[in-house]
Amino acid sequence: MAQATETFYEVIRRQGITRRSFTRFCSLTAASLGLAPAAAPRIAHALETKPRLPIIWMHGLECTCCSESFIRSAHPLAKDVVLSMISLDYDDTLMAAAGHQAEAILDDIRTKYKGGYVLAVEGNPPLNEDGMYCIDGGKPFVEKLKAMAADSLAVVAWGSCASWGCVQAAKPNPTQAVPIDRVIRDKPVIKVPGCPPIAEVMTGVISYITTFGRLPELDRQGRPKMFYSQRIHDKCYRRASFDAGQFVEEWDDEGARKGYCLYKMGCRGPTTYNACSTVRWNDGVSFPIQSGHGCIGCSEQGFWDNGPFYDRLSNVRQFGIEANADRVGGVVAGVVAAGVVAHAAVTAVTRLTKKR
Amino acid sequence: MDINTPNGFRLDNSGRRVVVDPVTRIEGHLRVEVNVDANNVIRNAVSTGTMWRGIELILKGRDPRDAWAFTQRICGVCTGTHALTSVRAVENALGITIPENANTIRNIMQLALYVHDHIVHFYHLHALDWVDVVSALSADPKATSALAQSISDWPLSSPGYFRDLQGRLKRFVESGQLGPFRNAYWGHPAYKLPPEANLMAVAHYLEALDFQKEIVKIHTVYGGKNPHPNWLVGGVPCAINIDGAGATGAVNIERLNLVSGIIDRAVTFTEQVYLPDLKAIASFYKDWLYGGGLSGRSVLAYGDIPEHANDYSPASLLLPQGAIINGNLAEVQPIDLKDPAQIQEFVTHSWYKYPDEAHGLHPFDGITEPNYALGRNTKGSRTDIHEIDEGAKYSWLKAPRWRGHAMEVGPLARWVVGYAQNKPQFREPVEKLLHDLNVPVGALFSTLGRTAARGLECQWAAHELRRFQDKLLASIKAGDLATAYTEKWTPDTWPAKEVRGVGFTEAPRGALGHWVSIQGGKIDNYQCVVPTTWNGSPRDPAGNIGAFEAALLDTPMADPAQPLEIIRTLHSFDPCLACSTHVMSPDGQDMATVTVR
Amino acid sequence: MSGATRTNGSSRFRGVVDLAGVQTDRGATIYVYEAPVRVWHWVNALCVAVLIVTGYLIGAPPPSVTGEASAHFQFGYIRFAHFAAGQVLTVFFMMRIYWAFMGNRHARQIFYLPFWSATWWKGVWWEAKWYLFLTAEPKKYVAHNPLAHIAMFFTVTLGNIGMIITGFALYSEDAGRDSWQARLFGWVFTLFPNSQDVRTLHHLGLWVIVTFTILHIYAAVREEIMSRQTMIATMISGERQFRDDRDD
Repeated sequence: MAQATETFYEVIRRQGITRRSFTRFCSLTAASLGLAPAAAPRIAHALETKPRLPIIWMHGLECTCCSESFIRSAHPLAKDVVLSMISLDYDDTLMAAAGHQAEAILDDIRTKYKGGYVLAVEGNPPLNEDGMYCIDGGKPFVEKLKAMAADSLAVVAWGSCASWGCVQAAKPNPTQAVPIDRVIRDKPVIKVPGCPPIAEVMTGVISYITTFGRLPELDRQGRPKMFYSQRIHDKCYRRASFDAGQFVEEWDDEGARKGYCLYKMGCRGPTTYNACSTVRWNDGVSFPIQSGHGCIGCSEQGFWDNGPFYDRLSNVRQFGIEANADRVGGVVAGVVAAGVVAHAAVTAVTRLTKKR
Repeated sequence: MDINTPNGFRLDNSGRRVVVDPVTRIEGHLRVEVNVDANNVIRNAVSTGTMWRGIELILKGRDPRDAWAFTQRICGVCTGTHALTSVRAVENALGITIPENANTIRNIMQLALYVHDHIVHFYHLHALDWVDVVSALSADPKATSALAQSISDWPLSSPGYFRDLQGRLKRFVESGQLGPFRNAYWGHPAYKLPPEANLMAVAHYLEALDFQKEIVKIHTVYGGKNPHPNWLVGGVPCAINIDGAGATGAVNIERLNLVSGIIDRAVTFTEQVYLPDLKAIASFYKDWLYGGGLSGRSVLAYGDIPEHANDYSPASLLLPQGAIINGNLAEVQPIDLKDPAQIQEFVTHSWYKYPDEAHGLHPFDGITEPNYALGRNTKGSRTDIHEIDEGAKYSWLKAPRWRGHAMEVGPLARWVVGYAQNKPQFREPVEKLLHDLNVPVGALFSTLGRTAARGLECQWAAHELRRFQDKLLASIKAGDLATAYTEKWTPDTWPAKEVRGVGFTEAPRGALGHWVSIQGGKIDNYQCVVPTTWNGSPRDPAGNIGAFEAALLDTPMADPAQPLEIIRTLHSFDPCLACSTHVMSPDGQDMATVTVR
Repeated sequence: MSGATRTNGSSRFRGVVDLAGVQTDRGATIYVYEAPVRVWHWVNALCVAVLIVTGYLIGAPPPSVTGEASAHFQFGYIRFAHFAAGQVLTVFFMMRIYWAFMGNRHARQIFYLPFWSATWWKGVWWEAKWYLFLTAEPKKYVAHNPLAHIAMFFTVTLGNIGMIITGFALYSEDAGRDSWQARLFGWVFTLFPNSQDVRTLHHLGLWVIVTFTILHIYAAVREEIMSRQTMIATMISGERQFRDDRDD
């Protein structure tokens, strides 16, 4: 319980981080934020004197599945994260205050912790209709998002909405919902995709920052490498069936009961980077494939438009046609083959008539 | 200005305007404005849904077997209930049946959602409207222990336990970083609990936070993950294998035991923590019986939890179906979701456009054309609203009506319908609770009544969970392992002509319906009418007000600057605004008419 | 390649139209395809055959085998054959690129299109007419006719490059983020962040190649019979023999 009053600095010192590394972290952070060198001591001061890292958790167009997932975390427990690791100063879903009292917290954090709080975003901003498809405090959400991002230390994009756009950005994207890095250009954005992300991945990212005193290493697409550098397929316990050539052919068939590979049922495990097959869900109880359903690829960009979910091949939508590659290609090849036969026939006839 | 609404409420917007935006501890984005009179009593209420995503348009042209995944993302709090509604709608349209085991497993998942959602709602979204966290600091741990032990056998009740917890809370508060408890209404006169009850409730707030993550493991076993488990048209995706090779990868005895164990704990937690807390808290708020709104007049329930697979008739449904109009409990009217005269949506006060806005449209014939425009009396600008003009369009929610009546849906509506139908499983717990609290039946129609119905339903759901899990075990024992039917899985087995279907459930928040039409293997039209659209609806052309607005009326506020009473009543509905999705055109300008003929 | 094959001031084609200044002698035989080109062609053909069959099966696997997973590696072998054929194809394609620099001028033909040559465009038009039965006789060509040239450039050269890039990018997913394949081809996932899209492209590429193969084999057989020079034999011996001595 003692850590409740420990400062961020004390916590990372206890984790074995030296004073020197700490000051270096502060200046690197300042540099990465494009702040003047003078900002480094201010960041250091904030982290040394403030017990817990302030987190502002904002909601745009979303379904709150990320918040729900977050509170499912088994290690660390969500209550320990909130009581001991971070200071969750603003979160629409959990906070006691509402209305003006809630809005006042945002202003207060922006001024008091300038450059020293993490902005966590669940959902994304719609840009159509001047942003008024998501109104917060009478104003477009996108304005509030930009304002809070401007003074933050770093931004965490929770889930596929904030990271990629997710369901409301699926074609035809009626509200023109965009991933948050489309409107937040000047801050490091840590993308934690998934619909929702795994609970322990979410708390893992937060506790990585508070424990090691730095932002996690990100991959090419801005995701923490530690959780998103391998495909579900790579560590799937049904991989042996895949290599053997044993597939579920139909729901609830012999293969389904024996736990064969769900590849033919459209499983997106081979194209999905996430920790589901290793960390698993809800304290390691299961993950979609273990419970008999293929992965739908919910942590991948644009996965909604790579359907149908139950077909191995995605549908190609071009020129008003919608079919998968085999159907498109099969038709094209078939037409060409038929053309070739016809052409050969005409050639033969022409040749014969000429000879005569 | 003084108006009497057709559904029997008096509105007066002459007094001081109070705005609450954002309303927090809900799902999605909601704004509420009220007018208070000289005595700070609410005389007018305006509820504005402030978000809109257009998922129904996105569904157009997609594979109907995928629709559950899209609609599931309408809401991550009532996760799964939209998916269930969707697979039912698609099965209804295509004439697909499911095995008995699949029905049982779906019921188990839906009931697990009730238990989870009601517990999380009560403790994490609603409790802080009744419980003063700061007051808990001055509680006497010994007295808290005595209180806890007097109301329940729950073992975590020693003085040491409460002292320890109080110590942690103290350090937390003394750190100066109050996190989610920051800037709230602590010390507000509308808080009535003694410090000991507050401390007990805070302890259970944290215990419930730990426990809720256990309940959802039922979803994880049968659906692979939570939030957003997986579903399947034609059954459930999880296969059962008890004896054969590969049983470790399917639903086997270990998985069944895991679920059974969680169900036992859910029953215990509900009966030893949730219900005693509910009663204890309610006993201090017996005088605060505001917020009844529509609940005593017009309530609607579609019913859910079919005992028998593929039978969605009222006789098969364990949760009641029916509508009560004008408080006439003696007559529960039958409902038909396909009847164009019954459910209709209006847009006179919604940011949508109809050719003829005086009339409503049944979801099968739904038109949705966005029309974001503010009324003349709006204070502020188009992108900076200070005070909204409820005389014009003012919400992203449509206004659904049943035979022209504004209806309340949700746990209280379900329990009132069940009570009116004289079903003992609803009547008896209600009467016992009323007796224990020594309040009349009328007390049911209040903010507290809504909260109490949710608690009773949680207990009912926990026991039904047990029963359905046992039913599954019995079925497996009898040799039935089927979990999915696949004869009509591929699109070439579907009718070529247009087919329509309706799926309905009772989401934790209330009646939920999906209307789908399928043509040529693709979704031609998809419409959802969701609980929060019923409850949070704006006004209709006749001037009827919705359940949120009705419930806020006549509530006295201790201090209009501290809107605790407003959020308390709103929270009792468990609002879910992300559900209020409707369709629009890609460029936000043109009309996206989605009509079914 | 410009006007040298024309008689002065005339637009009439003379002799071989695709090579500047070369006049064919009577009964001419020209050495066109050097050994590396021929070897590459047939190895490439073999690899493509394997890649098409296995590639299709990777998208639509054969019926499940029964028994324990540990006793089988059927799908693994299919994938292995695909990867092995892909690697061989890549190595030979690199060799082919090398030979474009080292070999004779015909070895370079499929790597570029003489976009600015009016003669060449006229050849395209003439050859199109020949295939549309609008002209009685084709022209004579030492290497690929202009229409074939276009097909070779787009489907063989660009097609191979596209399939190699997407193929190795997909392979890098198996090989891991730290593999050389990931370092060399990982940028594909910057262009297409969801690797399902890369699969869709790669799979569409399969059908482009299938379609090309149908046309290629037909055209080769037909030209062998109908044109004024040898075709299939040329890809075996390297020698192109002309069947008549007329100018064009």
